Amino acid sequence: MSRLVKKSPSVCTDLPLNSSDVCNKLRLMKELLKSSYGPTARLKQVHNNIGGAVVTTSTSSVLLQAISCSHPIISLIKGSILNHVSRFSDCGLFASVFCLSLIEEAGRCGLRKDVMIRVYKHLLSLCTAHLQQEDCGCKVKLDFCSSRSLITLARSVIASKPTCVLSEPESAHISRLAVQAFLLTVPCNIPDKVRLGRTVTIPIEGHSVLESAVFSGLLLDTPENISLGSLCSPLRMVLFSASLAGDLSELGDGRIEVHQGVDTDSQILDQLLELGKQVLKDEVKLFVCQKVIHPVLQHYLRCNGVIVIERLGISLMEPLIQLTGAQPVATLHTTIPRAAYGEVHNVSVRQFGSKTKMHLHPAGKTTTCTMILCHRNETMLNELKLVCQKTEHVLRLTLREPCALLGGGCTETHLAAYIRYQSKNDVSESSPVLSCSQTEYLLAAEAFCRSLESVATSLEHDNGASLIDLTHAHHWTLPSDVTEEHLKDATALCGCGVVQSCQNRKWSYLNTEYAEFSPAPLLTAAPLQPTVLDSFTAKVNALEVAVETANLVLDVRYVIQDVN
Amino acid sequence: MVPLEQLHLNHVLQTVSALESVILRSFGPEGGQVLFTRDTGQVMLSRSGKRILTALHLDHPLARMVVRCVWKHSTITGDGSKTFVLLLASLLRIIHATASKETHMFQSHNSTKAAEAATARHLADKLLEFALTELDKFIVLNVLPHGFCVSLENFTAKTQHNLSFQTLLVSFFHTRLGYAYCDFFRNLFCELLSHWKVKDDQPSFSIHLLNNSFPALHTQVSGVPVSCSRLIEGQVIHRDFATPCPQVRKQPLKAAVFNGYLQPKLLTTGDVLELRCGDKVTEDRGIVHFSSWTERSVESIIATLQSFGVSVLLCALKQSTAVLAAATQAGMCLVECVSEEEISLFTQLSGVTPISDCRRIHPEHIATLTFCKPLLLGAHRCVHLDFHDCEERLKVKPCSLVICAPSEGQADQHACAFQDAFRMLLTALEPMHKTQKKTIPSEECTSLHADNISNEAACRVHLHQKCVIETGCVISAGGTFEFLLHHALHQYGHSCSVSVNTSAVSQLLAKALLSVPRQIYSHNLKHFLQAQTRVMALIPRQPNALSTNLIHTEGPLADGKLSLCSCNKGNMSLKLLDLGLESVSCKYQLVLAVLQCLTNLLRMNMLLRTHTILHTKSHNSLNAHSESSEDEDED
Repeated sequence: MSRLVKKSPSVCTDLPLNSSDVCNKLRLMKELLKSSYGPTARLKQVHNNIGGAVVTTSTSSVLLQAISCSHPIISLIKGSILNHVSRFSDCGLFASVFCLSLIEEAGRCGLRKDVMIRVYKHLLSLCTAHLQQEDCGCKVKLDFCSSRSLITLARSVIASKPTCVLSEPESAHISRLAVQAFLLTVPCNIPDKVRLGRTVTIPIEGHSVLESAVFSGLLLDTPENISLGSLCSPLRMVLFSASLAGDLSELGDGRIEVHQGVDTDSQILDQLLELGKQVLKDEVKLFVCQKVIHPVLQHYLRCNGVIVIERLGISLMEPLIQLTGAQPVATLHTTIPRAAYGEVHNVSVRQFGSKTKMHLHPAGKTTTCTMILCHRNETMLNELKLVCQKTEHVLRLTLREPCALLGGGCTETHLAAYIRYQSKNDVSESSPVLSCSQTEYLLAAEAFCRSLESVATSLEHDNGASLIDLTHAHHWTLPSDVTEEHLKDATALCGCGVVQSCQNRKWSYLNTEYAEFSPAPLLTAAPLQPTVLDSFTAKVNALEVAVETANLVLDVRYVIQDVN
Repeated sequence: MVPLEQLHLNHVLQTVSALESVILRSFGPEGGQVLFTRDTGQVMLSRSGKRILTALHLDHPLARMVVRCVWKHSTITGDGSKTFVLLLASLLRIIHATASKETHMFQSHNSTKAAEAATARHLADKLLEFALTELDKFIVLNVLPHGFCVSLENFTAKTQHNLSFQTLLVSFFHTRLGYAYCDFFRNLFCELLSHWKVKDDQPSFSIHLLNNSFPALHTQVSGVPVSCSRLIEGQVIHRDFATPCPQVRKQPLKAAVFNGYLQPKLLTTGDVLELRCGDKVTEDRGIVHFSSWTERSVESIIATLQSFGVSVLLCALKQSTAVLAAATQAGMCLVECVSEEEISLFTQLSGVTPISDCRRIHPEHIATLTFCKPLLLGAHRCVHLDFHDCEERLKVKPCSLVICAPSEGQADQHACAFQDAFRMLLTALEPMHKTQKKTIPSEECTSLHADNISNEAACRVHLHQKCVIETGCVISAGGTFEFLLHHALHQYGHSCSVSVNTSAVSQLLAKALLSVPRQIYSHNLKHFLQAQTRVMALIPRQPNALSTNLIHTEGPLADGKLSLCSCNKGNMSLKLLDLGLESVSCKYQLVLAVLQCLTNLLRMNMLLRTHTILHTKSHNSLNAHSESSEDEDED
């Protein structure tokens, strides 16, 4: 009772966006996230004050989770971005940098906040409408007949995470594996509803990345002394979801008094052995239990040539059920129905360094596969595992919408050019609808475009310059050690690799003003294949989340902090 | 010795002004969001005065009392919490000014402070008395003619009613969610209502139903833009399937709801099972006998359910692995830990009763569903189902609401706005004062509009008008209510037929009311004057317009379908629609609630800070603080 403390009153801040303290914090956060963006990002080391593990990362989900917020506005932004990342696994840094730029630009141009909010919302709807159009210049249709564009997409995701420390062939290898695993989880014969399978990832430390592999079926930990005798395929298997350790947990909360001379343990064990006999009679060759199996029962089964696997864990239950078609059994006293048995085609043992794994081959077509990921040390391996999961998610999103956006900053510059052009053209119609003056509308639109371009600029970290070409509005980078003449060289490519340089092309630096123009579509008969692609679904969502979050932050007039 | 603290009028005023300054940031069409953190670190957003005030964790007992009054008021009406504080502060300011001028009224008091307090209290009591007896009359005669009626009967049709109903919702969502999303949520809200509208029944019934079961009816999804919010048919149960859901199913399917465990608990707490040596019954199997009995009973339950063709089981509790395995083998899908609200909504919509005793399962326990499938909403997998014959049975199309937003705080804010919109509509549409119906003495009627209506007609008319306030009258927002009432009270105060006391009181209230529109247009004084002129322009025509209208619409008024002035004032009302609409009945309740709170506040003169070991909720003991010498200075 003495620990009961009176609640202290809340701390209030009036007009938080006008305070320089909050603005500084937002700028700091923007710089932090900006420097982690893209394939040449600077890595961040996160370690806490009590000596926990040091995390090296440039991934938004890890980075944002590690930042402890000192201000509610920052945690609001952080929460939105983390939610986006947990749904779409990609474009988290894009969303956060864009959102923070929008807020900063809104403060810089000094218009009333509600005007900014209205114009931002209007421009967002322009952007999304443009991106949904068939002939949008920065959209690429994905071709499922060849795996090339899927691999490009996977590779863009993997290459944007420099913490994995992958060499060129290594990242190509991992991208191929990711696409292979993804394709394995897509069912071949489609019933009325598609249900994707699962990829189980097993990380193995201390090996070269190139030893990573994907297998159809499941790889399980093996018991120490496994004997694979002559097994005829297919193998019948049984799967228990209840504990077979000899405990009876479902009796209730009451007490049990046992008189002397009664041996309940042996009674239960007899029952378990009874079960073992039935299983043997039904010619089961593989006996799997989610929980613990009594050692006597294990021994009995092994002696009779059955492979016993215990402590499978809840996470592997579902893939195993999918793979084998078995139904989990939880009753000890009734005979196991025939339908509950599952089948595997074969069992083999695979060796990965020090680890021995048992490979269950599927009996028929399956959508379950296992990905073995190898890397040299733990930090890189953790990041690689995370990246592979994200890649899988991004690839799955393409099933919903078979499109991708040009990467390398080209989508951002294209959109900026498009919005600049559109806003100049529709200023007389839009400004009365949004109840603001024409100047206000143009100023706010300029802020929006500058924010988009600043995202493209933040891809460059080595003092290079960012440029935009004035025909297709793609993004180009100019390394710091070369002059602009270098761009005229015919071998130079834009950020996404679709546009090739030529003599009569004109460029403009991204932070300078240029005359507005409508981005021209690419008309060449055999266009170059893009080398960098971004997920369409994730990027469109990130764009919307960023603008909505920025609008929300701009609308905040008062902050009440509960300091208890 | 208990520390004593004298409460003076300026203490009260200071406290309420402090609250007002917090509220003002989010007041009116130009107001913004208030961001607040909970003690758990969770970030919440709000423009609702109720939530902002409760987030403050105030220490001052007076402030707490005000917050409690606001909380009570807005829990009932779902609206008006910011105006509450604003009006209260403005009333206090005016009373303070008046009281410090007119201390001579109570010369017998020793100090000026005490005299001030006495005057203030006197004024507050008078105000409340005046409002309780006269205010409804003023509203009926001076505000209602400029408003129009909203009914739920035909809100889907493209009529004037429909338009005003939608505008009412837009203005509500505007004050809650800001400009950006008000149209979007208005559409969503109307769609939801039209799905849930019970055919041939009271429209308020469906709002009641929605209001009560809203927690089970909506799902919040974060990380997705707001524009992804949508309606989905049927009910969503916020749990995943505990057993794998088979892909191909015959339709329709049968479902049953369980309140308890399917596997019987052999021993409840307190029971003792004795295992003896050499017992004849259990000799051969011992304890195994008991566990096999429970397993067999699970099998028999599953077998019974199979005989009814049941394939979906909804359980309130977590079931044992044996039950899960048995259900999987029988091809049933089972959902565990379904919340109480969802079960009650399910039983309401399907018309079945939950099974509490597994040995007795009857056909009335079995519901029929059109489908039951997994649904991915944000990060969570849910169960999505729809009822087979709901349209015939209940005459509604059940549907659930999915509210999306980038962050949890925002999704929560939107959900709260929806819930409050139901409350606001209920207050606006609900018959509130059926028993209060009374005939006004005829001479008063004549004194107010003595033009050319006979006494008798005026009185009959008044009764009908009473009906209108009961069935949801709305008026254009942006201070119209306040301007009109201000004008009426002002006129009344200046008319010769009233006593000096009443005149002063009505002047006071009139002055205070004007502070609300003044704040709405605080960023631009020109707009305030424009708005006032616009509203005042309506007034001179009022008596004539009123009389013609009343004669014309007397018949239809009886069914409460037609508004007072929609016929020939249509043009003017349409112009006012741009400002949005608000409910007159909500406003009326608000004024009454504010005056009650004011009287309570001014009745206190002392604060006793008692010390107990535990910090008790001090606002519960506030009643004890209120002073005892109430009788000495009443006239």
